[in-house]
Formats: sequence, structure tokens, C-alpha cells
Amino acid sequence: MRLEFFILFTLALAALFFFVVASIALVVRKAIGVQRQRGAKRLYGLYSAQLAELLLTDLPVPLQSVKSPSVHQQYEALLTPTKRKLSQLTLGRKALHREALRSVLIDLAGDVVGEAAERLAYFFSSLGFVQDELILLRSKKWWIRAQAARHLGSLRARRAIPLLTVALEDKDPGVRYEAIQALVRVQGVESLSAILRVTRRLSRWRAIELSTIIMQFGSAAAPYLIKALKSPDQSIVLFSIEMLAAIGFVSAVEPLRALLQGYPSSVVQAKAAEALGRLGDERAEEGLLKLVGSPHPHLRLKAVEALGRIGSPAAIHVLLDHFARGHLGERIATARAIAALGPAGAETICSLAADEDELTRAVALQVAEEHSLDIGKG
Amino acid sequence: MEFVASILDLYLVFVITYFIAVNITYTIFLVVSYKEILSHMRHNLFSNYRLLVQSELTPTISILAPAFNEETTVIESVKSLLKLSYGTYEVVVINDGSRDNTLQRLITEFGMFKSRRIYEPLIRARDVKGIYRSNLPEYRNLVVVDKENGGKADALNVGINIAQFEYVCCIDADSLLEADALQKVVKPFLEDDTVIAVGGIVRIANGCNVVNGRVVDVGLSRRWIPVFQVVEYFRAFLSGRMFWHGYNGLLIISGAFGLFKRSAVIEAGGYKPDTVGEDMELVTRLHRMKREKREPYRIAFVPDPVCWTEVPESLRVLARQRNRWHRGLLDTMLIHRALLLNARYGVVGLAAMPYFVMVELLGPLFEFFGYFVVLFLLVLGALNVQMAILFFVVALFYGVMYSVGAVLLEEISFQRYPNPRDLATLISFGILENFGYRQMTVWWRVKAFWDYFRGAHAWGAMQRKGFAGAKARMSA
Repeated sequence: MRLEFFILFTLALAALFFFVVASIALVVRKAIGVQRQRGAKRLYGLYSAQLAELLLTDLPVPLQSVKSPSVHQQYEALLTPTKRKLSQLTLGRKALHREALRSVLIDLAGDVVGEAAERLAYFFSSLGFVQDELILLRSKKWWIRAQAARHLGSLRARRAIPLLTVALEDKDPGVRYEAIQALVRVQGVESLSAILRVTRRLSRWRAIELSTIIMQFGSAAAPYLIKALKSPDQSIVLFSIEMLAAIGFVSAVEPLRALLQGYPSSVVQAKAAEALGRLGDERAEEGLLKLVGSPHPHLRLKAVEALGRIGSPAAIHVLLDHFARGHLGERIATARAIAALGPAGAETICSLAADEDELTRAVALQVAEEHSLDIGKG
Repeated sequence: MEFVASILDLYLVFVITYFIAVNITYTIFLVVSYKEILSHMRHNLFSNYRLLVQSELTPTISILAPAFNEETTVIESVKSLLKLSYGTYEVVVINDGSRDNTLQRLITEFGMFKSRRIYEPLIRARDVKGIYRSNLPEYRNLVVVDKENGGKADALNVGINIAQFEYVCCIDADSLLEADALQKVVKPFLEDDTVIAVGGIVRIANGCNVVNGRVVDVGLSRRWIPVFQVVEYFRAFLSGRMFWHGYNGLLIISGAFGLFKRSAVIEAGGYKPDTVGEDMELVTRLHRMKREKREPYRIAFVPDPVCWTEVPESLRVLARQRNRWHRGLLDTMLIHRALLLNARYGVVGLAAMPYFVMVELLGPLFEFFGYFVVLFLLVLGALNVQMAILFFVVALFYGVMYSVGAVLLEEISFQRYPNPRDLATLISFGILENFGYRQMTVWWRVKAFWDYFRGAHAWGAMQRKGFAGAKARMSA
């Protein structure tokens, strides 16, 4: 028993000791990490200043075209002292310096446009980082591939277009999405066609990300979005409707009206109603008035809200009729829509505020308060 | 005598089996949580949360902050909430019948007037005396609700009724949110339509430098009680909740910070006002409701640092808090006992509930009686001292492993404690807590059974120093 106890006790103590030592190692590692971070931060600051200077330096020969070879020669001349310094470093230090330089280039890429962006892209390529990123784009780890795609896009590396196109069919959705964004940055608005064609089941998060890209292109993106209204994927249809409204592309009214009247899903119809309201075109009014009587509550609500946004006084009677029905939320939305219909709407709200029905009065008073309507005068 | 000896033998066999099972569970928790955190970090490596501030597609959120006798801190807290970095959101402060000047201070500071706003009482709650809005354009997204006192759960129910937006974020009035907290916590909803609730990690603000309602420097308190709690919070959030998140078995979203789909909470009937564990009860009820309706759903946890809270610095207040937490756990387990070991409720019935009952709820009882049995055997001279020492060393090893493992999870992920000295302190406290602190918490939790069954349902007062050094009392 004593021997067994001794062995077990020693084993338990050893395990405990191992954990204590591991903990001490963790603290030591952290202390070293802090030191390294300080060093990396210092190098980052150094190269930030150096690259800012390189970007601000005037080229000796005025630019005719940013793509002419002579320009690249001038960029190379600017970069030569940095390259020389790097070549004099030991392997270990060189890796640290290159990492700092790479980080600075990538971070700067988001802040510069025009010739400065071209200059930055050249530096990135000339220092061999494009090649490094292309290798990383073949990594087995998805997050490394995704990061490489993002970096190549940020630096507008045209050499990477073929591999980024291949990455559109990567097995990981994260990589696919980064490749899409990279191609948009490198190729511009034309890439939207492929993006909207290959994307499926767009989550709200991805929609927000994609919307930022599309908003940068503005009305140039509209033809691609109108085409995408015929996508078999409902999430793409909903997204395209949303974007057309956000861009404010008035030519989209007709295709949106077609969706409003003929699309089999009430969710899409509701989104089209909302978009038509945002576009504020009176051509949509007729279709919207019909939908106020829809059996789908969310569709009725969107149609009512859209009529309020369009602001045509002709809608007042239909809305007033609708006001008497529906649940509280719908009645408030209808009252808001009526109040938005100019002086006639305001007058209607004021009269509703004196209604015999308590709920009608309460709703009208709330909406009057929201629209700063003076009930006394009404 | 032989009978007593055989009972004790049986008990010891049970204790050893239980001990092994629990520690295997904890080890699995650590390993799975490690993988989950790494996966979460990689998944969000490329997320640009700032898009949520500008995008028109960003979902709208109503922040619900119940306040009871908060006159000293309420202005600072509300101003901090109004400065969050997010798209469209409103802050709804629910004055739960405060007996001090909480309401008057809000009205004066934010230029509020009594509004004619109406709402549909979708969840039953106490009467609302008035809804206030601000005249000032910079506070347009602030709503103050004055209601009869009914406790935190009732106040939140009123807030849910009045909230205008798609999601409701339920917080404590004294929670300090990171500026990007809403961006981080809303993301799971945007990635998966079936998500109905998301909990955020709650961190300890004692010892941190707080300026204008924001934690600017993270550090450890100089007092020992909050430091022990930092290690406990790491274990609970980074290991425990992260594990259950992975299997959609998360039974608790902290009342200090949680985001819910408003329609789901209304469907479930809102918070239960007559329990002290209303946060856990609601989440368990959401699981139950969705599983009974056989609807796809997910309740998620976000490990990014999003919310800071002040924890007790005195043993007296800590004891009261732990006692209340344990009564809340016991109440929830009893209310939803039908889920226990019921295959109809999937992972919740077959894994999460058994874990919470056997480990979290009854664990302190087993441990407490274990100490008694050891003493009893020692008095009788029947204790195998060698085995007892061995058991103690192995228990110590597991305790240290779990605590250090939780600190390690923080260190590999968020690294919010930049000073290596803080890391060393946390690890040391992870070891030291096994000598006294742990036994104290066991006693407080055992006492909670007694208090529960004799009918004590009070929250107990929570003495708070306030982040700006001001004194405030909070209770409901």
C-alpha cells in the first residue's frame, strides 16, 4: 500500500508541479511577447514615416500615365534605399523588418487613392509581397487564404486576378467572400456581374458587407442590380431591391413595380413596396394602394409606409379607411403615413385626435406629437 | 457500526466517481472551449464591424436599462449608453419606482417631457406612470419610462413592451458597455436567422481605469476578493459558456448584458417576475419553447470583451450575491425540471440540464458533506490519511488546471490584461482560491438551499462604489 501510495502521490505532485511550471512559462512568454510587441511597434512607426515620405515625394519626371514603364522606374528609384537597408540586415532581423513594412503597406492601402495607391501597389509588388501572398493564397488553412486574398485586393495586385478568380470557387465561404471583395477592388464594377451570379443565400451580415462595396459604385452598379432582380436566389433579389432603393436609381421603378405585382413571395413584394416608397415615385402609387388590402400583414404595413413616403394626397381615403382596421402597430403606421401626406394629412390627424374612440384618439395624439402638429389649431 | 461504515464506504465510492466525472467534464470543457474560441477568432478575423455604424441594413436595437434608486450614477450611465458606436438604436431607461431622485435627475439633465406615446402591453407587467422623451435633438433616441416598483424582471418586461425595435438589449443600469459592444453582439443574428438570443462576456471593472463611462485601462483590483472573481468569471464565461455555445446548450445569458430577438421574448412571455434568477429562467424557457414547437433556433455566446461590471469587494456582499445566484439556479431547475433527462429537449435535456443540476447546483452540497465526512472519519480514527492526502493533491491539481486553463484561454485570445504581472497574479489566485475562498463559496451556496426552502426570495442590497467613485445602492 505504501509503495502504491508513494507512486500515486509522486505522480499527482509531478502533474501539479508541471502545471505550476507551465504557468510560470506562460508568464515569461507573455513578458517576452510584450517586449517583442514594443519592438514591432517601433519598427511599424519607423516604416510608417518612411513610406509616408516616399508617397509624398514628387517624382522627377511629371506623370503622363500611371501605367508607363518610366513611372515604375521612378517608383523603383524611390524604393532602392529601403531595399538596400533591408539587404544589409541579418535573416532574423530582415524578417521582422519585412513584416513591419508589409503591415504598413497594407494599412496604408485603405487610406490612399489615385497615383499614391498605384505607387503603393508597386512597392508591394517590388518588395516581393505579392509573390508571398500568392503562395499564401494556396495555404491549407482557410483563414490564411482569406487573409491573402484580402491583402491582394487591398493592394490592387493585378497579377493576382487569375488566382483570385479561382478562389471564387474555394471550398470555404470566407475565402470566397474575400476573393469577391478583392476582385471588386482590382477589377471595379464589372466584377459585380460575376459576384451577383455566383453568390447564394446571402446572410444579412454578408449583405451589409456587399452593400458597402456597391454603394461605392453608386448608379454604375444599377444595371447589374436590375439584372440580379431575376436571380433564382431570393436573398439576391431582396438585396438587389434594397440596393436599388439605397442608390436612388429612379429607372428601377418599372422593374420594381413588376416585382410588386407579380412576384410569388410576399416577402419580396414587401421589400419592393418599401423600395418604391423610398424612391418616392408616384407611378408606384396604384400598385401600392391595391396592396393595402393584402392578406399579408407585413405587406400591408410596407405598402402603407410606402404611400406615406410617396406623399400623394390621393392616398388619404384608402389610408383612412385602412386606419379603422388592423392591430395597434398597423394603425400607428397608417396614421404616420397619413400625417406625411402634407396639409391634408395633418388636418386628418387633427380630426382623428378628437375622435370618440379612445384608441383612435391616442394613436392620433401620438403621431401628432411625433410630427409636431398643433392639435389645438387643427 | 458496520452499517455506518458501509454507508460511508458507499458515500466515498460515490464521491470518487463524482469527482472523476466532474473533472473529466471540466477537462472536456477546457478543450472544447479552446477550439471554440480559436474558431470564433478566426471566423471574425476579417469582420469589419464598423460597417454596422453606417449601413442602412443594420438592424435596429432597443437598449433596456432598468434603474432603481440610481440617482448618483444614472446620468453617467445613460450618457455612456448614448455614445455607443452603432447604427440606429434607442436607450429605454425604466425607472422602477425609485424612491430617490432618479426620475427627476433624468428629466432635468436630458430635457425630457411627458410623451403621448402609446404601446401594446404584449407582456403583462406593472402599470406605467409615464413615458418621457427629450426635447433635445441629441437625445432623440432616449426614452425614460416611469413605472410602479416591480423588480428588475418586471421593469424589463415593460421595456420590452415599449421598445420600438427588432432586438432588445437587456442590461444592468450599472453595466459599462464597450463602444463597439452592440456591433459584436448583433453579428450572430446577422449570420444566422435562427439566432434568438446572444450573450456577451461580462468582465470585472474593479481595478480598471474608467473614464466617461468607458474602460480605458484594464488592470486588477488591489483587493483580493475581486481578483478571485476575475478567475471565476474567466472559468464561467470563457470555458463554461463557450462550451455550451458550441452545442447550443447555453442555459444562461447574464442579466448584465444580453441581446434578444424581441419577437421571441414576447412569444415566450417575457421575464418571470417572481424569481431571483430571471435571466437564466428566460433563456431556459426560450430553449423549452423552441424545442416544444420543434422550430430551429440558436442561442449564442460572444466571447469578445463587451461589458464591464463592478463586483463585490466585501465578503458580506459577495456572500449575498452568490446566495442569490444559487437560489436563482435552484428555482430555474425546479421550474423546468420536466426538461431533465428528457430526450425531447435534445442537448438541453440530456446534457445541459443534468450538468447544471449535478455539478452547478448539487456540487456544493456534495463537497460540503465531503468535508464533514472527512472530519467524522478523522474523529473516529477511520480515515485513511494517505488516501486523503492523495485525494487532496489530485483535487488541487484539477482545481489549478481548470483555473490556469481558463486564464490561458484569455491569454491566447483577447489578452485584455497587458501587464505580465497581472497574468502572474491571476495564475497565483487560481492556485490560492483552493485554500479557503472555494470553501467559502461552497458554504454560501449550501446556505442558499436553506434560504430557498424557507421562502427567502429577496435580491439583497448590492453596495456599489460606482465607477467614478460615487456611492450608489442598487436593489429591487
